[in-house]
Formats: sequence, structure tokens, C-alpha cells
Amino acid sequence: MSLSYREKSIWGSLAVTTGVFGYYFATVLGLAHTFPGGDLARLISAVFVLVVIQVGTQIVIALDSEPDIQRPDERDQLIASKAYRNAYFALASGAFLLIMYAIVFQMRPFMTVNLMLFFMVLSEIVKSLSQLFYYERGV
Amino acid sequence: MMSGRIHNNIRTLRFHRGEMTQQQLAERIGVTRQTVMAIEAGKYSPSLEVAFKMARAFGVPLEEVFRYEESV
Repeated sequence: MSLSYREKSIWGSLAVTTGVFGYYFATVLGLAHTFPGGDLARLISAVFVLVVIQVGTQIVIALDSEPDIQRPDERDQLIASKAYRNAYFALASGAFLLIMYAIVFQMRPFMTVNLMLFFMVLSEIVKSLSQLFYYERGV
Repeated sequence: MMSGRIHNNIRTLRFHRGEMTQQQLAERIGVTRQTVMAIEAGKYSPSLEVAFKMARAFGVPLEEVFRYEESV
């Protein structure tokens, strides 16, 4: 079954977010080549690259799906609402864990910031996966 | 606890209305073609508004489009 424009858009966004921040967190953990400029420059670079690739990806998907693009209807809104709810739980759980870890282990600011960023990215991934699940299985 | 399931006759009604396509029905009731597909497949229960619009598009009562069956 062919994917709708909205599903393609979500898959594209998911792939770009996972790829860019997967590489970013690999550099944070020392598992991948890191760029000169320090922690802040690395983070800003990751955000910049994410925006550029996301915009490009969504343009390509939109051009490829042009006849299929329609305004979100009630089902799209319901799926988005449920996906945001799931993402909220992921983000809230992550924030709670982060607070506990920061208190117990007296984490450095660098690790605190990156852990918070990790949970934000994770919640975004949860949102995308939730949407794809509901589009496939029903809501 | 009682639970139920909604069944529909949309595919049959489309066929008997000049083989109306899902896209044509979607345009008439203001939803996407994918939503009409999901409703037909039982993967989505529409709002009352959309359900009534669908019945009006077919020119039949709501009960001829959707039926609710309870199971224990």
C-alpha cells in the first residue's frame, strides 16, 4: 500500500531527526568524529544541519506528493493529538529521570543539557512513531 | 462489560451511487481520501458530523450507512 503524503512527511522527519541527532550524540559520547569549536558549536551545528536537511527533505516529499497534499482533517488531528500525548509522557518521564540523576549524581551542566536534549529528541521520535502506528493500525 | 463495534456499508453504497470513488466521497464530505479508506476498513470511527454528511452524500438515513453491534 502506498504511503500518503502525511506518512511520507513523518517518515522523512523521523529519518532526518534520528540521523542528525544520532550522529550528534555519538560525537558527545566520543564514538564519532567531532568538529572543532567546542560543545556549543557542536550543538548549534547539529541544529543548523537538522533544519537545512529537514527543509530540503520536506520540499522533496511535497513535490513528489503534490496531488496528494490535503489540509489535515479530523482523523489527522486526532492522530496528532494522541501522538502528542504519548510524546508528552516520554518527555515528562525523561525530565523526571533527569532531575533524579542530576540530584543523585551531581551531574555536570554539559551532561545535564545533553541528557535533556536526548529526551526531547526521544519524545519527538515517540510522536512520529505514534503517528505512523495510528495511521497504519487505526485510531 | 459491554463493548461494541461499528460496521458500515460505504463500499456498497459507493458502488450503487454510480461507482463513486473514495476521492469523490472524500471531497463531498470534507475529509481526505485516506480517511474514507480508514472508515471503510473499520480503522477509524468518524465524528457525528462526518457520519451525517456521509449519509446525506448517499441520500440515505444514517442507519443505512453505519450500524452498531454490541457484544458481551
